[in-house]
Amino acid sequence: MGQLSLKRVVKTFGSIEVVKGVDLDVQEGEFVVFVGPSGCGKSTLLRMIAGLEHTSAGDILINGERVNDLPPVKRGIAMVFQSYALYPHMSVFENIAFPLRVEKAPEDVLKRKVQAAADILHLENRLQQKPGQLSGGQRQRVAIGRAIVREPKIFLFDEPLSNLDAALRADMRIELTRLHKQLGATMIYVTHDQIEAMTMADRIVVLNFGNIAQVGAPLELYHRPENLFVAGFIGNPRMNILPATGVKSGPEGVTVDCLGQRLTVPVAPPRTGIEGAALSLGIRPEHIHLGDGRDLRLNLTPTVVEQLGQHTIGYATVEGMEPTFCFVLPGSRPVHDDRPLDVNFRARDCHLFDADGQALPRRPGVEDSD
Amino acid sequence: MALFRKENTAMIDRYSWWEIVAIYAGIAAFLFFMLSPFIEGFLVSLKPLAQLFSSPYTFWPENGSFDAYFTMWDSVPGFGRYIFNSFLISTVATVIVLLLVVPAAYAFARFNYQGMGLVLGGFLAISMFSGAVLLIPLFRLMRTLGLLNTYFAMIVPGVAFLIPSAIWLLRTYMKRIPLELNEAAYMDGASQFYTFRRVILPIASPGIIVVAITTFIGAYAQQFVFALSFNSKTEYMPLPVGLFAYFGRQEVIWNELMAASFVGITPALIIIFFLQRYLVGGLTAGAVK
Ligand SMILES: Nc1ncnc2c1ncn2[C@@H]1O[C@H](COP(=O)(O)OP(=O)(O)O)[C@@H](O)[C@H]1O
Ligand SMILES: [Mg+2]
Repeated sequence: MGQLSLKRVVKTFGSIEVVKGVDLDVQEGEFVVFVGPSGCGKSTLLRMIAGLEHTSAGDILINGERVNDLPPVKRGIAMVFQSYALYPHMSVFENIAFPLRVEKAPEDVLKRKVQAAADILHLENRLQQKPGQLSGGQRQRVAIGRAIVREPKIFLFDEPLSNLDAALRADMRIELTRLHKQLGATMIYVTHDQIEAMTMADRIVVLNFGNIAQVGAPLELYHRPENLFVAGFIGNPRMNILPATGVKSGPEGVTVDCLGQRLTVPVAPPRTGIEGAALSLGIRPEHIHLGDGRDLRLNLTPTVVEQLGQHTIGYATVEGMEPTFCFVLPGSRPVHDDRPLDVNFRARDCHLFDADGQALPRRPGVEDSD
Repeated sequence: MALFRKENTAMIDRYSWWEIVAIYAGIAAFLFFMLSPFIEGFLVSLKPLAQLFSSPYTFWPENGSFDAYFTMWDSVPGFGRYIFNSFLISTVATVIVLLLVVPAAYAFARFNYQGMGLVLGGFLAISMFSGAVLLIPLFRLMRTLGLLNTYFAMIVPGVAFLIPSAIWLLRTYMKRIPLELNEAAYMDGASQFYTFRRVILPIASPGIIVVAITTFIGAYAQQFVFALSFNSKTEYMPLPVGLFAYFGRQEVIWNELMAASFVGITPALIIIFFLQRYLVGGLTAGAVK
């Protein structure tokens, strides 16, 4: 059992509200990722769930029981710290065994559990070494082992991979996903890295300044961001946002004027009037194609072109758009900096946001557009 | 520093010949000033008394011998007792200081409460007081407590003067132990005391040993003043008082005095070397990151 509910959870440090009334339900066995920019309150929220931070207001429920005032160990929760927090003077075996020593588990039970955790994490040959002799990835695994032996209902991870290099991070992502399947436990994982969020999560919670910006499955966030913040945060490179003016709405969607061209985006119309409304049109760099045709055409002169083989990324200035316009083309394409070229995109790949940055809901079926 | 490294490939560790000469010259000058009193003292302990009073003064011993190391015990029959007293006073003082300072330093390192800065600042101010300024009030205090002419007359004020700097030293060391270690242990259900004993103490042990050494040395250094002020019983007198016994009515038995000095500090040196072996640097490696 590892069901978690947050009910209007608030955290204030002095007069500063860091977590501003978060509501969330996490199902048993779910892998939930908290993602958001640095300083948005992810760690604070996680530490409140863990029982390391006092909850200023609201309730935290685990399996229906209010745990606000329970110490971590009584919440049935284990946590893996970003810094690993291994005990440097103890062997790997003793590090993993630490929670069992605390609860005075019998020696044979302790040995069996540590051995089992070491097997899962491929640490069998490291048990007698000290943390200082291990690589970053191995230390991370020891920290996870220390969490596993307690057989918690809920695992908490605070940016556990951020101290590892890129290759190791990719490996550990896969290992963690596998571990989640194997243990079937509820896992809550904090990261600022959207790749980790997209690849591992059953559901992603996007946090922005202590508020939940959106909760949803990874592809849901990608295809149907509910606001400009999520649209900009999920997806790499970021979605391009172009200024647009509402023209009319009809059964086909909302027609807008963007860069002097008209296109009809298949989204539900806003409740307020559409005519002359200041809107933002979002288009992901990977939905931009070379050549002309399709619904909106642009003539660009890229200032920088990055050839990655797998794809070609170009950056250009577009009038009225603040950060540079970015496009991603599949494969290596004959695109060069300072040489003008035509690109285009389809209306059905576009997102529309109102003046408050809220998305106009996209019509069903936009996900399988290609 | 490249000079002490086996392999010297980093460009920043390359020195030109004159830089190396300058470095060694600096080290040599430093060692000369540090060690020359000891070397001179040792040479004096080897010289026959007659040579010491001959003129002109000669630096190297003629007919040098270790005789003084044997005759010193006859000139001052109770000298062994002085050595024992010093050792006892310092050891007991060090043990008491550690018992008080280790938990106190941990509290100062980990727990925040109002007025902590004031208390710590107060400690610093106290440790700047010269003991001599306080001798008269201390004397009255010792008399009131009935501690005059006991070992405690030298231990108790000694402990009081040694605690502040020990707390500062150890607190700084303990503050460097990552807070996440406490949090991780707390997550696993460990009590504050369990965490202190099983996690903090072992990691802080190099710092504790440094504090033990400095306290032990400090206790040796300060006993003299307390002994002269609060104790009049020969049987409790520490080493420095014993050394005065070599100042005869007519002459000072310099060679035996020097020999006695070296013999007297030997137990302390043994203790310090023993403690030093447990000074393992970098014990926190691998805790975080
Ligand atoms: N103990 C604290 N006291 C005061 N402010 C804090 C404390 N812990 C965190 N904060 C503040 O709360 C905000 C959120 O911090 P945190 O949860 O660590 O962000 P994240 O993990 O998303 O990067 C930050 O602005 C941070 O400065
Ligand atoms: Mg954080």
